[in-house]
Amino acid sequence: MNQSLLEIRNLAFTYPGASLPVFERLDLAVRSGEFILIKGPSGTGKSTLLRLICRLNQPQGGTVLFRGRDITVIPPAALRSSISYVAQLPQMIDAPVGENLLLPFSFRANSKKRAPQPETLYRMLDEFYLGGITLEQSALKLSAGQKQRLAIMRSILQEPEMMLLDEPTSALDPESAAMVFSIMERLNRTEKMTIMTVTHSDYRPETLRGIVYRLENRTLQLREE
Amino acid sequence: MNRIIDISTGKLLLAFVFIIVAQASSIFYHLGLGRDIAIGALRTFAQLFLMGYVLTFILGSENLPLTIAIFAIMVISAMSIIKGRVKEKQVAYILPTFLTMLVTYFATAFFVSGIIVDSTPWWEPRYFIPTGGMVIGNSMSAIAIALERLFSEMRQRREVVEMKLALGADFREASDDVFRNAVTSGMIPSINAMMGVGLVFIPGMMSGQILSGTDPLVAIRYQIVVMFMLVGSTAVTSIIVMLIVRKRCFGSGEEVLLSSR
Repeated sequence: MNQSLLEIRNLAFTYPGASLPVFERLDLAVRSGEFILIKGPSGTGKSTLLRLICRLNQPQGGTVLFRGRDITVIPPAALRSSISYVAQLPQMIDAPVGENLLLPFSFRANSKKRAPQPETLYRMLDEFYLGGITLEQSALKLSAGQKQRLAIMRSILQEPEMMLLDEPTSALDPESAAMVFSIMERLNRTEKMTIMTVTHSDYRPETLRGIVYRLENRTLQLREE
Repeated sequence: MNRIIDISTGKLLLAFVFIIVAQASSIFYHLGLGRDIAIGALRTFAQLFLMGYVLTFILGSENLPLTIAIFAIMVISAMSIIKGRVKEKQVAYILPTFLTMLVTYFATAFFVSGIIVDSTPWWEPRYFIPTGGMVIGNSMSAIAIALERLFSEMRQRREVVEMKLALGADFREASDDVFRNAVTSGMIPSINAMMGVGLVFIPGMMSGQILSGTDPLVAIRYQIVVMFMLVGSTAVTSIIVMLIVRKRCFGSGEEVLLSSR
């Protein structure tokens, strides 16, 4: 039971053309149900770390194990269906809210999952502080904060085992940011969702299993605060 | 009806009047096109004369290796024009594009020349070379347009492609609309040409046949075959090229390799 959900060993990454690595020999173990917050100034590779975990970038060295399996042997679409990544600036397709929410179910990797019914979607919209929004209205016309919450909801719908949230509040006003933090904490507390998020703000998660790390460029190591 | 009027050298030089008019317009309105018009005119003159002599030689030689060699040179030239237009450094698209062009253009030229026109032998240069030339010239533009569109959209829409990847899409699903837009943008000109042919313009090949005394009712048959051939070969070639090149825009983890601009 003690096996890590995610284990990173000796991870090394350098941007193409850069002389110094963003990090090297980076280790991290994440257990199921944990809430991992990674802090650090801009440009230290926090977002890159999340992107490497879901293979949106490729490391130059080291391994990432998900449920004990090297992520490079898991089909990328299946991996990303299990480890869901939400980008800093959430993207929507030019379609109604409902179509955006059900987008993951149009992909083969999610074909065995059951798409939720409109009643479920409306209930969830309320829970994500998006009450009043209809499934028929255009997703592109929502505010940044609404899009961010919609993007997190869309990721949850495909029932991932772990969520990676890249600076989810950086573009938001304090009120919207508080809503997003509250959603993340609730998902972790009540749904036991394993969450890994990065930020350069002073936020600290109010959850029992929250662990805060700091990614420092010079030491290129994570240390528990 | 069947006698073609030859253009004497003096009359040919008289055609330079059109170039002089273009040059005068450029000078009068400060268009700065003088140099390009002059070079273009000289190249047209030199390249077509060269081609005329080469064709006279090939048509008379009935030589299979020579015919194939000329065909290959035409494809190589088309590839170098595409390379000049599509400035892409991050994705190696040249070799797969060239090989696809070589195979599909050959198959098209063979089908039209050897089966529809039923020339004997199938590589009869009088049919095979002009057919190949039309296919290559037309489809080359389509491929260049489609490649440019594929790369630019992949860059512009990188965040949306990555959003779909992050939600469990494979690289095909994530870039489905980028692929479709690239292929259609390349195909639209040849589809539009089918709409306008005979109404808006008389195609070059048909005009040439009529000028050389061919019955217009025979010329239109050739032209119909050519129009269909151009649409078909453009579709097949651009789809194959886009399928191969799109795959190359993604890495081993199905991550987008092209950096945003």
